[in-house]
Order: sequence, then structure tokens, then C-alpha cells
Amino acid sequence: MNYSALFQQLLPEVILVVTALAVLATALAIEGRGKPAPLSVISSITCLGLLLAGASLILFPATGEAATPMIALDPLARLFKGVVIALGLLAVLLPPAKDEIRQPGEFHALLLFAITGLCLTVGTNHLLFLFVALELASLSLYLLAGFPRTARASEASLKYFLFGGVSAAFLLFGLSLIYGFSRAATLPEVATALAADPTSPLAIAGLAMVLAGLGFKLAAAPFHYWAPDVYQGAPATSVALVAAASKAVGLVVLVRFLLVGFHASGGSAAWGGIVSGWSVWLSILAAGSILFGNLLALAQTSVRRLLAYSAVANTGYLLVGLCANGAAAAGAALFYVVVYGLATLGALAVTAAVEREAGDDSVASFAGLVHRSPLQALALLVFMASLAGIPPLAGFVGKFALFSQALAETTVGTVSGITWLVALAAVMSAVSLYYYLQVLKQAFVTDGETAATGIGIGHALAIGVPAVALVVLGLFPSLLLEPVSTAVFVLSDGRVNPL
Amino acid sequence: MTPAWTLLSAFAGALLVLLLPARSAALSRVIALAAATIGALAAGAGCLAKLAHPDAAPWSFDRDWIPSLGARLHLQADGLSLALLLLTGLVAIAGILFSWNIDKRQRAFFSLFLTIIGGVYGVFLSRDAFLLFVCYEVVILPKYLLIAIWGSTRKEYGAMKLTMYSIGASALILVGLAAAYAAAGGTSFDLQHLAAADYSPGFQAWAFPVLFLGFAVLAGVWPFHTWAPTGHVAAPTAASMLLAGVVMKLGAFGALCVAMPIFPEGFAQWRGVIAGLAVMGVLYGAFTALSQKDLKFVIGYSSVSHMGFVLLGLAAATHWGLRGAALQMISHGVIAGLLFGIAGRVVYARTHTRDLAELRSFDLWRTLPGAAVAFTLATAASMGLPGFSGFVAEISVAIGLWESFPLLLIPLILGIVITGAFSLRALQKAFFPVRGETDAKPPKLPPLTWPELTAIVLLLAVSLAIGIYPKPWLVLIDDGLASPLFQSILP
Repeated sequence: MNYSALFQQLLPEVILVVTALAVLATALAIEGRGKPAPLSVISSITCLGLLLAGASLILFPATGEAATPMIALDPLARLFKGVVIALGLLAVLLPPAKDEIRQPGEFHALLLFAITGLCLTVGTNHLLFLFVALELASLSLYLLAGFPRTARASEASLKYFLFGGVSAAFLLFGLSLIYGFSRAATLPEVATALAADPTSPLAIAGLAMVLAGLGFKLAAAPFHYWAPDVYQGAPATSVALVAAASKAVGLVVLVRFLLVGFHASGGSAAWGGIVSGWSVWLSILAAGSILFGNLLALAQTSVRRLLAYSAVANTGYLLVGLCANGAAAAGAALFYVVVYGLATLGALAVTAAVEREAGDDSVASFAGLVHRSPLQALALLVFMASLAGIPPLAGFVGKFALFSQALAETTVGTVSGITWLVALAAVMSAVSLYYYLQVLKQAFVTDGETAATGIGIGHALAIGVPAVALVVLGLFPSLLLEPVSTAVFVLSDGRVNPL
Repeated sequence: MTPAWTLLSAFAGALLVLLLPARSAALSRVIALAAATIGALAAGAGCLAKLAHPDAAPWSFDRDWIPSLGARLHLQADGLSLALLLLTGLVAIAGILFSWNIDKRQRAFFSLFLTIIGGVYGVFLSRDAFLLFVCYEVVILPKYLLIAIWGSTRKEYGAMKLTMYSIGASALILVGLAAAYAAAGGTSFDLQHLAAADYSPGFQAWAFPVLFLGFAVLAGVWPFHTWAPTGHVAAPTAASMLLAGVVMKLGAFGALCVAMPIFPEGFAQWRGVIAGLAVMGVLYGAFTALSQKDLKFVIGYSSVSHMGFVLLGLAAATHWGLRGAALQMISHGVIAGLLFGIAGRVVYARTHTRDLAELRSFDLWRTLPGAAVAFTLATAASMGLPGFSGFVAEISVAIGLWESFPLLLIPLILGIVITGAFSLRALQKAFFPVRGETDAKPPKLPPLTWPELTAIVLLLAVSLAIGIYPKPWLVLIDDGLASPLFQSILP
């Protein structure tokens, strides 16, 4: 193995790990003198490390042959490493509540390990490496969720860990079945083996297990039970990482599995033309997530829990895109997951600001936000409207592209494809506006506390950057949609319908 | 001055108003009025140019936007679009004048108001279904906020109901458009491209009603009209004017320029049902208006009734029918704006009631003669008396209907009679009450202000102009109807 090439190809991850160690060392050095490490110093180092990793991704793109079959150097990997680092950076900027994080050194080191794991996960087609990278991210995230020493955070962390542990077991079992079937450890080789025997029960059983495992990562119903508790109990930074970055990574892995590995056994979920295959299972997961997430979100009074159920519903929309088993719809889904991540992260950032003022995250705490801070209220409007799919914000373009491409790729001539699923998604997405409006109504219409204390510059960036990004991506979606679509097209090697 | 100035002025005005510092908030209404005037002037200039050179190529703008989706920034201003743009501009000016002395959160109010106007302009100009849908959806949140913050009478309920109906209808449009896009090859959202594609009749049979209903809900089609009276009553005056006057027209415009041309065979299968629902709307709206106690509810239900005429004209699908539908859109836009303006602003701001029984004690024709005269004229226009725009529009629809569904003229005439009845009832109860010797002396009311008077004169003049000399408007509408889009619909 060529180690210098490997070093160059994994430079962002190397920088992240070095930063994590530097954070730990700094914290240790300061604590050694008898006082706790200041959060500002530690998070500054973390931000610097993330910025360097992002810069290395842009300045020194990985080129040539991959140094080991364990890593993939395709455009999708590079793009989503960038997305993960950017979302991670925004997540770090979210301030913790008072006394929430008592050991900032450990917290930020774990955060960097989680981001490293996520970066490695998006950049591999190798089954074993995928599992190791995903577990690096997951184990760090379990700890990040339970960092505050409160009953609620501990419950969240334990639930997350138990569900995650079981799903990891499913994933590993599925991967071993796939390996047993194909005698191959990378997805393109699995595809070759599958082409010879597309209905192998072993491979199908393996895929089913993998879907269950990844369904947990994506919080798809019925694997979502951890989500509301984690969203409510964990520190804002951890939630942001789980909600935005981890979900994007889960989707990338799913896209790789389905489009690269198992494209041949997709089948069809079209009404009246059902062909057995993973599209059918995925359509059921999607429909379940959309219904379950949206209907339960209607009943929430805590904004964090509301966002958790909205996450379940949005996973459903993403799965609609994958159901089509085509590059364009998968590209739209990947666009949407980024846009969704930005909107959720921003909404969490505003929620964090409201929590500091009002003490909790109930919908009623948002009352009078527009008088307290017009800019925060405006940003909240952007995030909620984007989540609900109102133009000119990116969430609208994402949903529209997702639904229309999913329909276009399953429609043959004028025989409609998965219209039933798209119609369900569109109608439930309209329903979702109701609960997003409940929050906006408090913020804009209801009168409330008007005295404001203001927020720090980092926190303001965590609110402002996603808001601006959503407006820009809404007006000029091609900025992200084109690279993502190209990346998926390259990934699927032209086998699925070209753009 | 190209028609693009309509869009630009509205959105630029909205942004500018939003960015105003708090101490110059009073400037916001001036900026809003300027933006609306620029828009109206641009539209008016476009109309005049079109009338002067009917054969000149229409102004258009066509750029790549989202290549992987096939969506383009494609705007085009034919005669129909220009006429509707002008209507929007005029109602916008009148709405701002009627809101001249609004004092609560001025900047936000005018910014949201201009955003709605911009979205409306965008819909009327779009020739790309995706762009049209974007502009169509842009108005949803501003509508909600305008009603929920500045409204009256169960405002939060009315706002939420209106918004959920709108977004639900949008979901139908999304499904219909996505289905058309997919079946047409999944490469372009251009309306011409979608209309030229070959869809199977079985596909059109379900895709058309989905798409059409999505648009028709916003046009107040019976039985999905209930959001309209509730929402319009709850809305602040300027918003009622805009919602009833212009935003409802978006639904009719979408039905005419998107749903019908894309799925002409589906339309042919369903037009009987549409005509039936439209007549029901005319009758139901009229009868319900007859029994209302709140002056604004009378106008709200009369809007449902009048929009029924638009849908009837569409269902007739003859040249006269479509002409009448388009003319009724413009005519009702002006008249609804006028009625809501007088009832919601001129009367309510002075009497603090819209209850027909309570208005009796104000003896309005003595205490507020200007408003009484204006409302009488507006009522005459609304009833469709000759000389006003309503007459020309309704007679055109009736001619169209005679050509395709002659039997429906019978209930339609009943509807017109009832319209006369509820209009006169409301007029008499609100403005010309019968008063005995024993009644208390009515309180003194402040006279009409200049902005109010200007807005009233502006809208009345337009209605009269259309009623007395409809030709230029018909020329403009015919120019739009000559588009290849409508060839598959017209006989």
C-alpha cells in the first residue's frame, strides 16, 4: 500500500483526528493547572480544525487511483465530506445550555471523532470499512447525546445506544450475508455477483437487514423511536449533528447500496405494476414514515420533539426519491437531505436561542419572538417555510425535484409510476405546514416577552448562514443540484437513466 | 419600461420596505405606493403598446434556471397577461391607499403586501409550469401572516383555514404537474412542451381533475369555497381586496392556462361536472349571501358566486366563454376590491361594526354620503347592470354558455336575480336604513379621506371604462386566447 497516497487521499480525516488529539491535549494541559478548560478556547480549536479539513478538501482534492480498495474517491464522496464538515462546523457553533458541557475537551474530541467517522463513511464502497467507519461515528454520537448529566440526556443516550446497538447488529449481520453471497467486499463486486443471480435469497435477506440498520440511522419509521428523546434531551450541538450530518451520511450509504450494489434487484413499487424488489419495501417504509412522522408531529408541544417527528417525515420524502431506483431522483434526494439538514440545524439554533430566553423549548416559548429579535424570527420563518416546502426557499425546490423526478423515473410512457406514493407525500407535506405554522404563529402573531438578551457571534452565524444558504439555494438551486446529480450519475456509472 | 418592471418593482419594494430603519417606518407606505404605481404603469404601458401594435411579438424573457430539472425562467406578456397585470397593479394601488393610515407594524405589512403582489405578477407572466408554481406558492405565507397579524373576526382561524386550503390545493397541483412532467418525458416544464405532449385518455381522466381542482380551489369552486368568505372577512381590508380581487384569479388563471391546455381530453371529459359545480357556486354563493348579517360576509359569498361565472365560462370552452371568464376575472377583481375597500375600511374604520342591523343606527347615507354613493355604484356594478364591467363579462359568459350548455342558462338567470336581491338587501340595510321618529340621532362620522376617495374613484372608473367601452379589453384577451395553448380547447 502506498502510504503517502493514502495520507493525501484521507487528508481531511487526518486533520480532524489530529485536531481531536490537540483538543484533548489542550484541555488536559489547562485542567492540569486546576481550572476547567474554557469552552471558547476548545471550540475555537475545533472550528479551526474543521476549517482546515474543509480547506484541504478544496485545495488538495484526492486524485488518482485509491490507495486501498477500502476508500472510494468519487465526486459523491468529496461532495458529502464537504457537506458533513460544513454541517459539523455549524453544529459546533451552537452554544450549549448553562452547565450542559462540563468537559469541553472530551466533548469536542468526540465531536471531531464523530465527524471523522461520518467523513470516512461517505467515502467508501467497502462493506467492512463502512461498518467500522459508521460505528466510529455512532459510538461517538451516543456519548455526545448523553453528555449533560441530566436524567433526560441519560435516557436519550441510553435509548439511542440500545436502538443503535441492535441496528448495528442487524447491519453487520446483513453485511455478512451479502459477503457470504457475493464473496466480495465492495459494492461494485456485489453488483457483479448480483447480475448473475438477481433474486438470490441470501443477498435479499442481507439487504433487508442492511435496510433495517440504515433505517435506524435515518430515523425511518418504524426504526425512529430513539429520535424524539434524543432531539429533546441531547445538547443542541449533538442534535444538530445527528439530525443534519448523520442523516445525510445515512442517505449517501443507502444510495451507494441501492444504486451501486443492488440496482439490479430494485423491482418496482408502481401502482398496478408491482415487481418484487427493494423498491417495494422502501415504499412501505417511506409511506409509514411520512404518515407517522407528520401525524405525530401535529400533536407535539415541544419544538425539539416536533423537529424529531418532522425528521421522521422528511426521511419518508427522501426514501420516495430512492424508491425510483434512478440517478436523477437519487440526486434530488441528496440535494434535499442537505437542504433539510440546513433547515433543521437552523431551526435548532433558533430553538437554542429561545431556550436561553424562556427556559424551555415549548411552542409557547416562541411567543413574541419577532419583537424580541426580528432577525431570529425572520430566520425561523425561512427554516420552517423551507421545511414545509414553501418557495422561494430551497426546501421547495428539493421537494418538487424529489417528487417529480421520482415520478418521472418510474413512469414509462404514460403509464404512471409511483404516483400513489408521490401523492401521499405531497398531501402529507401540505399537512406539515400546519405544525410548522403553529411555531411561526407564536413567533409572529402572539404577543410575548419582549426583552432580549442577544446571542453570541457564533450562535448568530449558526442561525444566519443556513438561512442565507436556504434562500440562495432556493433561488439558484443549480449551485448544488447540478454537482450532486453529476456525482450520482458518475457513481451509478451510467447504468441507470442518465440526466 | 418592460412588463418585467411589475415583478421587479414589487419584490424590490418589498425588500426595501423590510430594510427600512424603524424611525422611517412611515416611509413604507410611500415606497409601497411607488412600487405599486410603477407596476401598474409598466402593465398599462404594455397594454397600450399591445393595442397600438397588435401584431408585435410579445415581450418575453427566457433563461436557463435548473437544467437538471428542465425548469426555465420563462416569462412572456401576451394581451391576457398584460390585462391581468394591469388589474393587479390597480388593485394594489387601491389597497395601499385604503391602508394609508395603518399604524401597526407598517413595514412588515407593506412588505408582505408587496410580496403577494410580486407573486401574482409572476404567475400571470410565467410560461414555465415550475416557475408559475413557485410564484403561486410564494403568496401562501404572506397571506397567512397578513390575516393572522392584522386581521379581525376570528383572524387566526380564518388565516389557518385559508392557508390549509391553499396548501392542500397546491399539493394537488404538485401531483398533477409532476404526473404531466413525468408522462411528457421528464425533460421540461415549459407549458407549450407539456401541452404538446401526447397523454393517454385514461391518464388524462385522472390527472386533469387533480390538476384542475388544485387551481379551482383557489378560485373558490363549490364545495371547496368555504375558506374564501371566512378568510376574506378575517383579513385586513387591503388583504381582502387583494385576496378576493386578485389572488382568487390566480386559481382561475392556472385552470385556464395550465390545467386545461395540458390535458384537453381530460377537460373534455370533465367539463360537464365543472359546469355543474360552477352553477352550484353561483347559486349557493348568492343564496348564502342573501342571509348574511355581516356586510363583509355578504361580499365574501358574492365573490364565490361571481367566481362561479368565471368557472362557467371556462367550462363552456367556446371563444365567448373563455373571453367572458377572463373579462369576469378582471371585472370581479375591480368590483370585489371596491366593495371590500368600502365595507372594510371606509365603513368599519368609522363605525367599528359591519353588522347589518347595527349599521342601521348610523344612518350612513346621511352621515357618510360619499361612501353610500360609492357603495351604490359598486353594488350596481356587482349586480351586472349595463354600463359596468360586470354586465359585459356576464353577458359574454352567458353567450358562451348558450353555445355549449344552453340548459344551464336557466339556473344562471336565477343566480343573477338572487344576486340582485342580496346586493340590494345589503345596500339598503347598510346604507339606506328605514328609520322612525324615535330612533336616536346618528353619531357624526369623519368624512372620506383623500386616499380613500382616490382609491374609490380609481376602481369605479375602471369598472365603468370596461362597461362602456370593453373593446380594448376584449382585444387584449383575444390576443392571449390566440396562443397555441388554447387551440386544443377551443372548438
